Amino acid sequence: MIGNSARRYAPITPFDEALGWAIALLLSISLVMVYSASIAYAEADAATQNRYFYLIRHMIFMGIGLTGAYAVFQFPTAFWQKYAGKVFIIGVVLLVLVLIPGIGRVVNGARRWIGLFVINLQPSEVMKLATVLYVADYTVRKSHKLHSLKEGFAPVFGAMVVVAFLLLREPDFGALMVVMSIAMGLLFLGGINMRIFTGLAAMAVVAVATLIITSPYRLKRVLGFLDPWDDPYGKGYQLSHSLIAFGRGEWFGVGLGGSVEKLFYLPEAHTDFIMAVIAEEFGFAGLLVVLGLYAWIVRRAFHIGVESKKLERYYQALVAQGIGIWLGIQTFFNIGVNMGLLPTKGLTLPLMSFGGSAMLLNMAALAILLRVDWENRRIMRGYKV
Amino acid sequence: MRVYSMNTRSPKASPALRMTPGRVRLVLLALALLFLALIGRALYLQVAQQDFLQNQGEARFRRALVLEANRGVITDRNGEPLAISSPVQTIWASPASMEPVPPAKLRELARLLELGPAELDAKLSDRKREFVYLKRQISPELADKVMALGIPGIAKQQEFRRFYPAGESMAQLIGFTGVDGRGQEGLELAREKMLAGKNGRRVVLKDRRGHIIEDVAAIEYPKDGQTLNLAIDQRIQYLAYRELAAAVEVNKAKAGSIVVLDGKSGELLALANVPSFNPNSRKELDPERRRNRAVIDMFEPGSTMKPFPIAMALNAGKVNPNMVFDTNPYSIGPARVRDSHPKPAMTLTEVIQKSSNVGASKVALLFSPEQMWTFYDEVGFGRSVHAGFPGEIAGRLRHWQSWRPIEQATMSFGYGVSVSLLQLARAYTIFTNNGSLLPVSLTRLSSPLPAKPIISPDAARQMREMLMTVTQAGGTGTRAQVLGYNVGGKSGTARKLVNGGYQADKHRGLFIGFAPATNPRLIVAVMIDEPGAGSYYGGSVAGPAFSNTMAGALRIMGVEPDAPSNNSLLPVNQVPEIREDT
Repeated sequence: MIGNSARRYAPITPFDEALGWAIALLLSISLVMVYSASIAYAEADAATQNRYFYLIRHMIFMGIGLTGAYAVFQFPTAFWQKYAGKVFIIGVVLLVLVLIPGIGRVVNGARRWIGLFVINLQPSEVMKLATVLYVADYTVRKSHKLHSLKEGFAPVFGAMVVVAFLLLREPDFGALMVVMSIAMGLLFLGGINMRIFTGLAAMAVVAVATLIITSPYRLKRVLGFLDPWDDPYGKGYQLSHSLIAFGRGEWFGVGLGGSVEKLFYLPEAHTDFIMAVIAEEFGFAGLLVVLGLYAWIVRRAFHIGVESKKLERYYQALVAQGIGIWLGIQTFFNIGVNMGLLPTKGLTLPLMSFGGSAMLLNMAALAILLRVDWENRRIMRGYKV
Repeated sequence: MRVYSMNTRSPKASPALRMTPGRVRLVLLALALLFLALIGRALYLQVAQQDFLQNQGEARFRRALVLEANRGVITDRNGEPLAISSPVQTIWASPASMEPVPPAKLRELARLLELGPAELDAKLSDRKREFVYLKRQISPELADKVMALGIPGIAKQQEFRRFYPAGESMAQLIGFTGVDGRGQEGLELAREKMLAGKNGRRVVLKDRRGHIIEDVAAIEYPKDGQTLNLAIDQRIQYLAYRELAAAVEVNKAKAGSIVVLDGKSGELLALANVPSFNPNSRKELDPERRRNRAVIDMFEPGSTMKPFPIAMALNAGKVNPNMVFDTNPYSIGPARVRDSHPKPAMTLTEVIQKSSNVGASKVALLFSPEQMWTFYDEVGFGRSVHAGFPGEIAGRLRHWQSWRPIEQATMSFGYGVSVSLLQLARAYTIFTNNGSLLPVSLTRLSSPLPAKPIISPDAARQMREMLMTVTQAGGTGTRAQVLGYNVGGKSGTARKLVNGGYQADKHRGLFIGFAPATNPRLIVAVMIDEPGAGSYYGGSVAGPAFSNTMAGALRIMGVEPDAPSNNSLLPVNQVPEIREDT
């Protein structure tokens, strides 16, 4: 069977070119759209006074990200499996460090950044990748105990509670949602007992609801999202402008550079709300293209996972699909926020938004995904990894 | 390859992962559903709700801008500006688009705009408002300082402020505009339509900081207001105002007015009132100062009326200048007509020169009340001058059918009939314009407007000669003489009618005359209200102001002297004051 499938799927290329093209296309769109969305802010801001300010930084981040991705690609996936626990601990340590005043920097009321020379490192982004690597490893190691609440579920649940606690201290509710989705998704894929999973899901819903209701800051965001037109100049300001951008875009958009919302109306136009600018300038058609590229990446990630499993590379299978879940769910959250489906969270659009840490970690994750696929293809052709 | 089923529940039967294709498909399906939800939501927003969202957007970005038409300039007859618009800035705020501002910046803003912090807070308190004035019409320099604070939601807007170079010298005539740029008083109000022009309109999209992104409709360009070229000569105006102000001050009078007319064209060369105000500061709200007395105040003209019944009689051929009248006091019913310095007999010329009430009334009584009313009506008494001022009054000339005999007599020397100074000065054009009444023109004329013949040119000439004797030795108006020119004119002193009774201590002193008397070019009319420094006779309180204004105006107009050698002014201290009664 292995021989058959190897012949059937015998790749001509050493890695998944279609996936590579989708990533390259998204990055190219990102360059154009970050520039388009930031140009007015960059030009008007007394501190920057240069219309290329964000574009240049974005290109630098992308360059660093590509270099980092190249470096990450050199590591065999076995390396990540071996050090998954340590990577997770580093992630947790960073999450602790960011909470220490003097190390962690506060922006807009949230302590999310650690200043590192040029880049502000966002530990929650590191944590997303660390969760993929760690929970995949955990699931593989404990695969025969996943039916057990105490032995199979409790340890990873404990670890995730710690992460959740630290993320909420920042606070970074959005990252928490992504991390939890990855962890639950991997446990589910790994075969966790359905009763445990159902109970966990129910608990998560209750926990999220409690968190929202008990925090005035989150409640405010949720209320603003339910009806932005109730208070369009206060709580609903950002969302109402994002929705207007979508409405102005219609089917094919107002054209590149034509967005009015990016002219100081829509805050965070080049970061969390870049999709609104894309939707305004390229309309529903543009949104479909971008969404299609993300769907393609997610689909490829799951496919690479399935291939790995066929090769009995279970860790790699879970890592690939974990990355797929990560990118898919974060894309959904971000665009959902842009369109008023979800409350504002402060999540970037992967590969698209302006932001150093997110770009770097997204690229690293994709490098690992490509590495998994690369190894699969070598094995299928009879090489060693 | 092993195949796992989801039903495999045996604890020991799973040495490796249960990554069943079912669970993988389930997760992919969940993600696909989420993506489909995004697509559905996008369709809803971008297609179904596009109108609503675009309207919301337009409410935020779309702005209709007014392109202000430049208000027309008001100039004098030589093009000297009398009212011009200069650019100023107005600071406004959009509380709806303001973000939280550091308190220090708000304090600085309040300090620059001279607003109290509480006052500023009140203006910015309504966060739904998109437009509120913070301070209007400040200097461009101050506006730049305010904008340098860089507070989002604060913007400036260019406006125009009216500036009046002539200041108080013609404040009531020109009037002024309100803070909105519309005329409020005077000619600014009367000629609003012509001066204002038509504002244009531009519909644009604006970014949040107020920059215009693009036009979304055709631009309607503004139509600037037209220039109003007045007949006024600024130099004569200033001179007249200065002389009037001096006369009012010297005589400790309550108020005064002066009118200068071109006796050949009817053009208004100057018109001033005292007390006045500075139209540039706009802080003066006293209506006493703002009143254009020469046009809207009516009064009994006293002896300055006497030339009209006499002109009527000359024109009818009923009298001649040398005809002798019995000027002893006489009675009409219970009332007695008398002069203050009675003489048994006077020629008609002397009646004018000495200003005899008895003589004037006897001339008037040669006519029926209807004839006299008709004549007065024809020279414009009781009718608005229609010069084009706001609030012009018609004066008061009762219909002849209601006249009692004594009233016909008193009306001949200016009691029982009320006029405005402008109306009275205009009536004198029948003497300067060969018997024809000219309309008053505020604007400069290229050719005179049609005049209405009232008396014959010959009667007009005879009147001029008789009126000349008033300023000569023995007349009541010797202080109105002008070196080098023959001056014809008439003085008047009228008791003021207060609460239905004539006051012995409240008077109006008047002098109206023209020069050069042989071929008159200018008419000057001076009225001094309630002189309080001793003398109150028109010849002495209004005569000097008349003389100085006339002398200066004749020189300014370049009018050739008609009496270079044989006119020698009597030194003031040698001029006997002949006091007329009315």
